[in-house]
Amino acid sequence: MRGALLAYALGAMRRRAGRNLAIVLGLAVVVLAFATVLFTSEGLRAMSQRYAADAPSLTVERLVGGRASLVDVADVARVESIASVRSVTPRVWGYLYLAALEANVTIVSSRDTSPLGVDALGDGDAIFGADVAHSLGLRAGDRVAVSAAASAPDEVPMPRFLRVRALLPRESALVGGDLVIVNETSARELLGVPADRATDLAVDVFPPEESSVVAGAIVDALGGGARVIDRESLGRSFELTFDARAGLLAATLLPALLAFLLLAWERLTGLSDEERREIGVLKAIGWTTSDVLWARLWEAGLVALAGSLLGLALAYVHAFVLGAPLLAPALFGWSNVRPALVITPSSDPIGLLMLLAAIVVPFAGISIVPAWRAANVDPDRLLR
Amino acid sequence: MARRRLRSFVVALALAGLVLGVIAVDARVRTSAGHEAEERNAAIVRATGLPELALSTTSSWLRHPALAAPSAGASEAPLGLDVDPAGAVIPRRAREREILLRRDVP
Repeated sequence: MRGALLAYALGAMRRRAGRNLAIVLGLAVVVLAFATVLFTSEGLRAMSQRYAADAPSLTVERLVGGRASLVDVADVARVESIASVRSVTPRVWGYLYLAALEANVTIVSSRDTSPLGVDALGDGDAIFGADVAHSLGLRAGDRVAVSAAASAPDEVPMPRFLRVRALLPRESALVGGDLVIVNETSARELLGVPADRATDLAVDVFPPEESSVVAGAIVDALGGGARVIDRESLGRSFELTFDARAGLLAATLLPALLAFLLLAWERLTGLSDEERREIGVLKAIGWTTSDVLWARLWEAGLVALAGSLLGLALAYVHAFVLGAPLLAPALFGWSNVRPALVITPSSDPIGLLMLLAAIVVPFAGISIVPAWRAANVDPDRLLR
Repeated sequence: MARRRLRSFVVALALAGLVLGVIAVDARVRTSAGHEAEERNAAIVRATGLPELALSTTSSWLRHPALAAPSAGASEAPLGLDVDPAGAVIPRRAREREILLRRDVP
């Protein structure tokens, strides 16, 4: 009987090919939109978590009037004296507007560039992010002039020359596309940070479980205005941010889902005379109400399966192969230095199943209601 | 007739399975390549100590927002509580806590 039901459902699909094709396409578009948000946010969330694991155990900043201010380098000794603190590194980093790009780049000092395969940077040496280098047409060995911040009010800002020691790979654009990595002296010159100040302190804690205790001790040692960011909290904050962004995007797509369900309801509830006659014939030849409903469920299920698979395949291609071109502008904002969105597939089967259930179940539900109503009518009335 | 329909159905199902298989293989290849790229990117994070992705979402420059602007992340949730987006630890100093807990302290 099951084979007969399936054969009947396939025949019914073919008889109503136009309507079913329209519903498959509508369903595919809705699944494409929601699945792209899911794939992208999951991929970005996984990447953020991975990189947060390599952030310093604690980052110490100073707040003045609730805004981030420069840290006193003398605080290094006070933090170093706290138990479980393995090392404290004053970091100098900030943003520099490059007129040639009409965009900000992130200037960051690094004492140890060996993880990047580059020897210690000399004064004026720089490692450029791929997007900045590409936008300025730079190659390794080139020299480029950038305007540095004035360190005194009456000083005329003079351009500084940077020698391109290396370029970060293009695949690293999502982390380093806008970076210009220099040594501490060059970073201070470019950003106008005095020698006794730093942007923040990177604190390495061992064992890492002591981080929250050390964070409290740092606040007590440095007094009010110290802001200590814990690596774990940073990871959680990334997760919440992506959850919020994905939720907002999904919320904006909800009207599309509702519109689709409304359209499907409108198309499926009004059984045509032909469909009513069909149900009447089936009942007359001995099909039970349950058989009719199963046949209808098969038809709706196959349509939903086709639409969902098509939508998922398109969403996969859109998010991972094409780099989500329809979604990226909403993520990247206005900046001229835009990295390519290269996302690694990260599976969340539960999220995917919930997404499909949220779309397919109501669709299947609204498709059986009219058949159930018709199947309960006397076949004689249906055939007249 | 029914047999032909079922055969077409099986062919369609096989095609769908093929598409899913291609996606699964592609995802595996991309995941493997992605993990290698993530290791390279992690080296940049280790060298700079800056872990945030280069996503900027507003007209203000939001690179490294959790580190750069104490309240920037909260803009994602306009109706949310006003908390530090990076979950920074800013407890009251020990002495202030004591004063708050023991009202008899002058």
